[in-house]
Amino acid sequence: MNELKPSDFERAPSRQALHRISRPSLSYWQDAWLRLRRNRQAIFSLGIVMALVFFTLAGPWLWRQDPSTQLLEEASLGPTLGRKAVVVEELDSWSPEFADARATAWDRVQDLRVIGEPTTEGITLQWGPVEGAEGYAIYRTDRKPRGLNRLGLPLAEVKKPGQLSFRDRMNVEPRSYTYTVLPIFKGLEAEVYGRVKVAPRIALKLAAAQRLKAGARVGDTIVLPAHPFGTDSLGRDLLSRIIAGARISLSIGLLAPLLYMLLGVLIGGFAGYSGGRIDLAIVRGIDLVVALPFLLFMILFRIAFGVGPGESGVHAMVVAMVALSWPSSARLVRGQVMQLREAEYVQAARLLGARTGYLLLRHLIPNTMGVILVYLTFAIPSTIFTEAFLSFIGMGVVPPTPSWGSLCNDGIQSFLSHPHEFIFPAIFISVTVLAFNLLGDGLRDALDPKQRGSS
Amino acid sequence: MRRPVHAILGTVLLASVVLIQGGCTKRETRDILYIAMGAEPPELNSTKATDTESGMVLGHVMEGLTRINAAGMQVPGVAESWKLTDQGAVFTLRPDARWSDGRPVTANDFVFAWRTAVDPKTASEYAFILFPIKNAEAIVQGRLPPTQLGVAARDDRTLAVTFEKPCGYFLALTSFQTYFPIREDFYTAQQGRYGSDKENLLYNGPFKLTQWIHGAALRFEKNEQYWDQARVKLKRIEVPYITADDSARFNLFKDRKIDLLGLSKNSLDDAVREGFRLKKFAEGSVWFLEYNFISGRLTRNKNLRKAIQLSFDAEEFANKVVGIPGTVPGISLIPGWMQGKSAPFRSEYPVTAVGRDIEKARAYMAAFMKEEGLGKAPSLVWLTGESPLAAREAEYFQNLLKTVLGIELKIDKQIFKQRLAKMMAGEFDIVSAGWGPDYADPMTFADLFASWNENNRGKWKNASYDALIRKAQATTKAAVRMDSMAAAERILLDEQPILPTYERSVIYTHSDRVSGIIRRSVGADPDLSEASARE
Repeated sequence: MNELKPSDFERAPSRQALHRISRPSLSYWQDAWLRLRRNRQAIFSLGIVMALVFFTLAGPWLWRQDPSTQLLEEASLGPTLGRKAVVVEELDSWSPEFADARATAWDRVQDLRVIGEPTTEGITLQWGPVEGAEGYAIYRTDRKPRGLNRLGLPLAEVKKPGQLSFRDRMNVEPRSYTYTVLPIFKGLEAEVYGRVKVAPRIALKLAAAQRLKAGARVGDTIVLPAHPFGTDSLGRDLLSRIIAGARISLSIGLLAPLLYMLLGVLIGGFAGYSGGRIDLAIVRGIDLVVALPFLLFMILFRIAFGVGPGESGVHAMVVAMVALSWPSSARLVRGQVMQLREAEYVQAARLLGARTGYLLLRHLIPNTMGVILVYLTFAIPSTIFTEAFLSFIGMGVVPPTPSWGSLCNDGIQSFLSHPHEFIFPAIFISVTVLAFNLLGDGLRDALDPKQRGSS
Repeated sequence: MRRPVHAILGTVLLASVVLIQGGCTKRETRDILYIAMGAEPPELNSTKATDTESGMVLGHVMEGLTRINAAGMQVPGVAESWKLTDQGAVFTLRPDARWSDGRPVTANDFVFAWRTAVDPKTASEYAFILFPIKNAEAIVQGRLPPTQLGVAARDDRTLAVTFEKPCGYFLALTSFQTYFPIREDFYTAQQGRYGSDKENLLYNGPFKLTQWIHGAALRFEKNEQYWDQARVKLKRIEVPYITADDSARFNLFKDRKIDLLGLSKNSLDDAVREGFRLKKFAEGSVWFLEYNFISGRLTRNKNLRKAIQLSFDAEEFANKVVGIPGTVPGISLIPGWMQGKSAPFRSEYPVTAVGRDIEKARAYMAAFMKEEGLGKAPSLVWLTGESPLAAREAEYFQNLLKTVLGIELKIDKQIFKQRLAKMMAGEFDIVSAGWGPDYADPMTFADLFASWNENNRGKWKNASYDALIRKAQATTKAAVRMDSMAAAERILLDEQPILPTYERSVIYTHSDRVSGIIRRSVGADPDLSEASARE
């Protein structure tokens, strides 16, 4: 048997140290951030959202092209990086060549040739006379014609007696064209055609060139501005239009949800906290607002605000969104607040004498914050979408101000021939909406207290 | 769990493919022509219709005293013969002209229609086209009752017209829609709903409307009561689509859902790529910007209008913005294709084009601002339609006027019907409008801006212009008429109540199975009444 020592009867040391939590204490938000960080999709989306904000704010400084400057010479261009153009004189004083009465006429269109240098500002054709022809029809195609098939565009009929030349200025692009000239006999186009292939150079009229570069002279070669996303049907730079459009789309997309969430939180919080008859009255009020048709009210607000024809309806749009979209967030917050109000710790705080303000600030609002935040991230893309839709149908921004929706509307007109005018703005809408949705998804998982410590 | 879902999806897809193909092969094609229209006809009451869509429909379901044939000549319609003098005209109606309910078309039906058209209660915008008839103008102004109109039915088959003044182009008028007959008992039975639906119309033309789903579809069927059965080869004309969307129409044509396609600038490239056989014709219409002269509007100021004129380059606009081959840069009101005395009017009375001159334009602008006491350039309301070209034109001018003159344009885009209403009400500063000819005489354009014309939407009023038009309308002498109209044209071009922008050209194509489609500058276009369609 061991001998007992006095020290054995001393008070044992506190074992508290063993209970020390090995992980650092984390607040709710720190914990949520940790979980969000592990969600790759959400972080990626957050990156996209931040990039978009950067794109919108810094875009106009980095990409210094004016979104409303038109250069018709460069209309409907696909993505390009600075084409080179030769400066030519104004060619307005062109007069057609007429046949010399003594010239021998042939039985078919012969000697069809290009006069001068063919440029995108004009291609001049000339040909020899055909015996007995009352006129000539000129066709142009950028494909390969087969005999009398696939002649392409019927450019003109030259009917002045003896006129044997024609100048084509109809949207000439720097590609290879084949011209077919057919003589007309008794109103019918004959088969004895002539044909010539032409590859015009890019050219710019002097006046247009001087707008781009002061002091440009005829014969100079100048570099046209680059258009990484191409241009629209009036030759406006699409990238700068998308940047300008982002400002409208994103600012409405952020402003409107923030405002109506705020309204919803206030009303819903008040209803949930008060309970009883006040709650009942507010909930019925919410039901009423839910039943109101958005588009109709949008139009009513436009009239009420005196939005005249051709004026921007953006403020009416934001007001209509705020006035009609708050109920769902109010319902959400009301439910949360009602639940929290009855929670033991809130009851305990109240018993200990906490005042309403303290309860709201310390317990109720922080605990609903997660839900609100998640809801907000879902509300933003849907608002961007609504704005795009309203601008698409002409109820939102007015030209020349672009928004992503109105850009899509313009682009879809020429979707078959110039798809880039539609695809680029559409990509921006899609990516933005997707990024906000994925971010919202991630936030919802991260902010869910039930998942605390898991995963 | 994945497979069954995919399998079901596959079956559904397959089923829908089969359904779609089934639908295609079932579609009847023999003697049936399929077309798409850009808009629904807003008004089928022939006394009130003004637009091309209504004109096209009316041209197929109604017939006037005369009609225009494939060669563009005036030929007998309901009238089988006529006699024209300086004082008036006598028409003899054919005995076999019938309404779609089988009753004969009588001279009284014309008397009733014409009286209705000039009745101030009808408030027809086209009342002016009846002004060659005695007392018509006085009746429109409410000074005489409609019964005083100079037209009488001597018997069921004889229609006598008395002229106000000698009229050199009356016969050309009789094929126009306002001159179409309306039967009184049917009209009154509709209680103001005449022309609003297929049951509210009585037909005497080669076709009748048998289906009209508003905003969606129309169907024309051959009118068995029509007198000239030999002329009509088609059994039906189907309008299964009403859409202003060019690319939608292009796809419909490509998918062989419609047989006739007009091409816009955007679809030209695709049409060339598809290898369509493209045709071109001068559609006849002249397009212009019309300024508002109602008091209080800044556009009343001539310096402003001059400034806008000198900022504008019609050739650049025609080639790069309109972009349809054959488009003629707008230099005047009377188009280049219009015949004058013996040659085209424009070659007999040449007009010099005013080019762009930015310095001069700015000088006019400065003078305008000084006169109006404006500190900065004003903003103006630009009323326009909803077509892609209308939008492109609006934004082109918006940028042009902003950069050259500093003017802000507010673009008011409206659907066709609403635009007409706003034009009528004068709710615009500048409206982009066009005018197609009603009959083959320069007068159809020249009298448009006479102060009494309802279609002078800007309410421009110029005494010497009015006097010259009156002079041209009071004689049958071609030389005097053409000279006065040319003088009026010069006043118009100097005063600039309008800025001509372009003369429209149409590029179109049709499917191989159809033939005999008539395109024309004057009258209902396209005219399908003599077309035929194979399987």
